[in-house]
Amino acid sequence: MPEATLLLQFLVTGAGTGCVYGLVAIGFCVIYNASGIVNFAQGSFVMLGGVVTYSLWHALHLPLAVAALGAIIVSVALGVLTDLLVVRPLWHRRATMFVMILATLAVQIVVERLTLIVVGDAPMSLPPILSRGPIHLGPIVLDTQVAFIFAVSLLLVAGLRLFFTRTATGRAMRACSIDRDAAALLGIPVSRLVAVGFALSAAIGAIAGILVTPTQYTAYNLGVPFAISGFIAAILGGFGNPFGAFLGGLMLGITQSLATVAFGAGTRNVFSLAVLLIFLLLRPQGLLGTAKT
Amino acid sequence: MKTKLVLAALLAAVITAPAMAQTYKIGASVGLSGYAATTDTAWRDGVLMAAAALNAKGGIGGRMIEVIVEDNRSEPQEAVTAYRKMLQSDKVDIFASGCVSAGNFAAAAFVVRAQVPMMLCSILPNPPDQVKWAFSTLPPPKFEVETRLSYLKDSTQIRSFGILHDPTPYANLQATIAEKEAASYGLTVAGNEQYRQEDADLGVQLGRLNAAGARAILKIGLGGTTLTTAKNLVALGLDMPLLNSLDDVNLFRPVADVLGPRFLFVASPSQVFGAIPPGKLHDALSEFLTPWRAKYGDRDPNWASRGWDAVMLTADAVKLAGSTEGGKVRDAMEKIQGFQGTTGVYSMSSDVHYGLTENPLLLARIVDGKAQIVK
Repeated sequence: MPEATLLLQFLVTGAGTGCVYGLVAIGFCVIYNASGIVNFAQGSFVMLGGVVTYSLWHALHLPLAVAALGAIIVSVALGVLTDLLVVRPLWHRRATMFVMILATLAVQIVVERLTLIVVGDAPMSLPPILSRGPIHLGPIVLDTQVAFIFAVSLLLVAGLRLFFTRTATGRAMRACSIDRDAAALLGIPVSRLVAVGFALSAAIGAIAGILVTPTQYTAYNLGVPFAISGFIAAILGGFGNPFGAFLGGLMLGITQSLATVAFGAGTRNVFSLAVLLIFLLLRPQGLLGTAKT
Repeated sequence: MKTKLVLAALLAAVITAPAMAQTYKIGASVGLSGYAATTDTAWRDGVLMAAAALNAKGGIGGRMIEVIVEDNRSEPQEAVTAYRKMLQSDKVDIFASGCVSAGNFAAAAFVVRAQVPMMLCSILPNPPDQVKWAFSTLPPPKFEVETRLSYLKDSTQIRSFGILHDPTPYANLQATIAEKEAASYGLTVAGNEQYRQEDADLGVQLGRLNAAGARAILKIGLGGTTLTTAKNLVALGLDMPLLNSLDDVNLFRPVADVLGPRFLFVASPSQVFGAIPPGKLHDALSEFLTPWRAKYGDRDPNWASRGWDAVMLTADAVKLAGSTEGGKVRDAMEKIQGFQGTTGVYSMSSDVHYGLTENPLLLARIVDGKAQIVK
């Protein structure tokens, strides 16, 4: 395969992984906008998306679509419970943001451990959602599942744009992201929107997990790597900007892919973090964020 | 007189009670979570099962066996903490630790200073003073490589392969051996790519190996990444075979669902028990597999059988030494010859601490959900 073609192939591969990072990053942004909290339990939603879908499909023999819906419901329930049982009590006690972020990290660990106890440590995977072979675009090979991830990701991003611009709830969440105190003074129910934010980001995280599991394996401990990548992607895109976060995810996936090509897999995290540092130093507001004045 | 006798008896009871109650402590630093969870959990269960079997016969050297298990989360730093705790607090007599090579290496220096022998499921540390106290029930890493290279040479037309391995010391060692030995099998190494356990996609590495001319993948590493590799091979439309290193057969079943007969793996005798002819190995396997299957059904016995052998070798060394003292047990371990374990025949010496000197490994594939030897 000529070098240029090979490079293009790796860009496609990186972009596919980047879509998933982007969805995880959107989850970070949705909660951050509603509450100002960086939710480090976001990775557990991704993990549960894959693990619960597999468990319902494999153990209970439910159709894949029903199992996936079940996984989204479980993740949303966890998101809302995280808000009700962990975030809101701390919020009412006026805990510092640092404490709330630590609390979400604790949620991540608890969910991970509980998943280990309930389903064990065996790796799991799902069959391809579209059961046909890879698509050959000339010399480039595009996995149908990756194509599906692209399509669903773009639909989700478009849907979120509509949600944030055309619905009252979405607009209220944007108001919260600009100034929560002012939004509260205007009668916007901020705490209810925080719950909506947790539910929405949990659903997006679960969808990311469901989408990516047919291309790899999932297990109880795979939430954290996705959370780290999603967090970096969110910063690259401009923390708080869902669409920027998605672009940040694509950028991160492609960076990792190219780093692996050029310098080996051991350097992919080095390059991810190097890109993050460059952004923090030169463009801390990220790709689409606006600079604070 | 009667009172004196009663007092003497009571005194004797008081004096001997601690000795009677003293147990032979086996410490196990194992990754019950993290990337080595599947293998190390099984290793632990094999150790516990062997200890129970020996306790039913009176224990080791007249002392009942107590197994102390510490989870190192498959992380070297955690392993150091686990080892220190078992040395200083539990005062273990010997270690029977799992497959996290880096963790065993990290702790080896101070374990050696404490003069406590180590039976390991990992490769051995390099420094001579450390390897002196460490023994492994793992086959020497070259056996896993040679089993696969022999297959490529004798049973296929493939003459160029790619290596895909994780960054653990065990995998690095195998990768180095594969690069060195390929030529002697008439094979060339098209490329050598590394991955990380948490990588979401291995498509780039596989694409590079394919572009470099690899027509088969020698994968070295544990856990779910084998499944990711299989899925990525299909996604990229690559029809090359995947030859995996030793792991849990239950992890291999979904891989075989993806790749079919293109997926082959190195198997230990316990994983293909049905194909083992009657004899000493068959008998040793039966002794282990009977209680194992009664308790765990069709759970993969490979790593557990290594844990079982570690404890049985320890019992043999204590018997040879006539003592449970660490130094004497270590010396006796080096004198073990022709010990029939469930994983092969062990013969140790001062130079040989991987006791398996003849390659007991087989190449297998999954057919109808069962591991079968590839003829």
